[in-house]
Amino acid sequence: MNPHVITAKATLDKKSKINNTLIERHQRSSNYFWRIITLLSIFFILGIVGFVMKLSSGFSDKVIWGYYAAMFAFILTTAQAAPMVAIAPRMAKAHWRRPISRTAEIWTIVGLFNLILFIPLLWVLPSLEDGRRSLWFWNVAPEFHGVPVFSPHIWATLALCALVFIGILLLWVSALPDLALIRDKGNGWQQKIAAKLSRNWIGTSAQWHWLYHRMGILGALYFAMMVFVHFLISIDFLLVLIPGWIDALIPITHAANALQAGVATMMLTMFCLRQFGGYKDYIGHDQVWALGKLLFALSLLWFWFWFSSFNVLWYGKKSNEQSVISLLMTGPYLKIFICVFILNFVFPLLMMIWNPVRRSFWGPPLIASGVIIGTFLDRIRLYVAAYSVPGIGDPNVSKHELQSIPLAHLPEISDIFIMIGFISGSILVFMLATKIIPVINIWEQKEVVLYEIHKKFHRTEVKILGKPD
Amino acid sequence: MQEHIQLDPKEINDIALSPILETPKWWFPAVLISFGFIVAGLSAFFYMVYNGLGVTGLNRPVFWGFFIVNFVFWIGISHAGIMISAILRLTQAEWRRPITRAAEVLTVFSLMAALHTPLFHVGRPWRTYWVFPYDFSRGVWPNVRSPFVWDPSAVGTYLIASTLFVIICLLPDLAIIRDRTTGLRSKIYGILCLGWRGTPRQWKMQTIVGILLSALVLPVFVSVHSIVSWDFAVIVGVEGWHSTIFAPYFIIGAIHSGVSAVATFMVIMMWAWKGNNKILRPDHLDAIGRLLIIVATTWFLFLFLEISFALFTLERPEIVLRELQFFKWPFSGLFILFLLTAYFIPVPMWMFKKVRRSLPLMFITTILVNIGMWLERFLIIVPSLSRKTPFAFDWGSYTPSIVEILIVTETFAFVIFGLLLFSKFLPLIPIFDIKEGMVFRDEIKIGRRTVPASIRE
Repeated sequence: MNPHVITAKATLDKKSKINNTLIERHQRSSNYFWRIITLLSIFFILGIVGFVMKLSSGFSDKVIWGYYAAMFAFILTTAQAAPMVAIAPRMAKAHWRRPISRTAEIWTIVGLFNLILFIPLLWVLPSLEDGRRSLWFWNVAPEFHGVPVFSPHIWATLALCALVFIGILLLWVSALPDLALIRDKGNGWQQKIAAKLSRNWIGTSAQWHWLYHRMGILGALYFAMMVFVHFLISIDFLLVLIPGWIDALIPITHAANALQAGVATMMLTMFCLRQFGGYKDYIGHDQVWALGKLLFALSLLWFWFWFSSFNVLWYGKKSNEQSVISLLMTGPYLKIFICVFILNFVFPLLMMIWNPVRRSFWGPPLIASGVIIGTFLDRIRLYVAAYSVPGIGDPNVSKHELQSIPLAHLPEISDIFIMIGFISGSILVFMLATKIIPVINIWEQKEVVLYEIHKKFHRTEVKILGKPD
Repeated sequence: MQEHIQLDPKEINDIALSPILETPKWWFPAVLISFGFIVAGLSAFFYMVYNGLGVTGLNRPVFWGFFIVNFVFWIGISHAGIMISAILRLTQAEWRRPITRAAEVLTVFSLMAALHTPLFHVGRPWRTYWVFPYDFSRGVWPNVRSPFVWDPSAVGTYLIASTLFVIICLLPDLAIIRDRTTGLRSKIYGILCLGWRGTPRQWKMQTIVGILLSALVLPVFVSVHSIVSWDFAVIVGVEGWHSTIFAPYFIIGAIHSGVSAVATFMVIMMWAWKGNNKILRPDHLDAIGRLLIIVATTWFLFLFLEISFALFTLERPEIVLRELQFFKWPFSGLFILFLLTAYFIPVPMWMFKKVRRSLPLMFITTILVNIGMWLERFLIIVPSLSRKTPFAFDWGSYTPSIVEILIVTETFAFVIFGLLLFSKFLPLIPIFDIKEGMVFRDEIKIGRRTVPASIRE
């Protein structure tokens, strides 16, 4: 077999074109962009107003913080899960990820925003002294007497900080070559920031080796930490707040929902970049096709995890489990649950089985929008229900069973402000970050030029993709 | 995959067809030995039918013993075929090609082995048809909400789908054997290959059916072990079983044991037929080893959650059960052995590339996994039933009788026997798939490095 030889000369022009186009697009800002930033800023201020209103009510009444907790969980489930779209395909050496890997990584910055949102929840969550069951097994036996009473608060904070730190580190490491490129070829304030952030990157073999190695380690760490954070949040800030809810699958379900919503977030981001960001040449069918398949598989997984839990809880007919089903599915949140079921499972299933829909540029993003709305409603269904249980912080919790199903807690005006403001805030942070770090990974785009050739195969032309070991 | 050897179509035919056209010396003794175990197992079964289930170690309240443990174990192994074949096919993983057939065939035989274990367990197998709700005139309707009714339909559907999968993928290879044999053999293969001529239309249909079956069989694959897990999980009265995590936990455990079994089988194929070493390379073991690290670690995470949430209930019976499982002899010893063999010995070893590429070490570690996974099922079923429950007037442990041991051994012999027969009459290496892989394979030279490449749509 004679290998196809790719010479430096052949790739030079392509690389130079990629450099010029992407740097130019990164540095150019349209009025349209700044108008959106202004609008988002206004909404964000509205969110701050809502937050101040909420703060003025204090932390003693946990019920009113339900929507706030749901917002935190929603951002954790979407924005902070989106980087997995860069990490997992990079581990599998899938070339389709290249144009969107940076976009996914930039979402890690939103983690910093969410970390700030998390702080009030530490005051809202009661200590373990209220007698609720917990996986920290506080005070249940002499062996556990040393367990701190604020264990959920301490470990969730540490894990969330680690997740945000690792995410930002991953983004920075992966962006180093592009920052160096802007330092060398860019101009203005972006060049100055890039010069500082790019450190001494000059692209030596040792530096590249270091970069690949660190990206691998940080990616794996981010994945592990993301799963760990979902475990902690879903258990300590959700499951244990509903007395009698024993569901060993909920941590995995929470993490799997995040993967689904993360892919949906990326699908929508990718659609916006392609349609409005001027990146039509870079984001194509490969990305929509691959992410569409992933979204389809994760939507099926959503159903399977839900049914695995539901079937066992429903079948057992234990009174504590029937109460949980009643609270979360068939009772006050029935309508929301139906919407979630349709948007996260039925709609993707019925739409995605059609090849023309899956291959189109509009189909998968439309389904992704549904999944994001579904996930948003799902977080409200779970967290608002959990925080509305009257037993939280009450000695009644020790009965380990819901005595009565609380009514649905409707959002107040401050909750609506918070929801609009914090979603806008997340998008605002993301958009501002794209002004500092190129939203398309320039070096990965140039790298694929080396691995991709087209050749004649019988009567057709085929693409040959190299996969380095 | 730098160790790839480019072969021409004739070489591939020679390698893949040599087990069929020539009989190795060890083949007859191996068939005879496995057949001997089958005869012994069936004799034990008829002895049990004649004397009743009293000859087994089953008692009150341990109604489920070796038979059901073995049933769950073989269902687990059967997940190998779909994991390797369907998922890797859909994700276009090139390294799957030489091992898909072996995995699919292992699925079919292990499903057969799984199916006949509960048949033995019921004591009166001639009444098995009662499970099926077919007879209006009888007026006897099984409870359709019972997982015991879902089981036969799910496993049966899976067996049909897997067999179809094997047959569809075999068609081009059967035609090759038809063209290379004479007389009666050629006629039989001619009938089996359903008139395959290799026309563009036939290839197109075969590809479409392969992809469709891959996609359609995936939900069946998930449902089968989910339903098996619900045989346990929907029961409230037995501590340790009523857990929502059981369905995914059983599936990931099944993938862990199934993929390990495929790796074991791969090593045996490489040892038994030397020609296979040109197609099955240490690279393939390396890839399967890396996959196993991920699968095993995910499975371990599920195990951790299952135990954690059992303790989370803080209910006395649940904690007593866990004390029995973890700290009381003989279950404590089995539990330690289970943890060591299913995770703590193999996974750290697979971290090293040298281990992943070594045939003997991969053979040992993957066998260890399946010892561990068999013990896992035993530890789920037997200690939970051995406990005293509020309405039980009797309780105690369970010791399998020689009858049960012989019948369980028969299932292993049956799978080995089936694979040996298959290898003699049908190719274990998918010939057309390997040839396609050779055509799709390419190389790109960048500077001083040559990078493996392949054709994509």
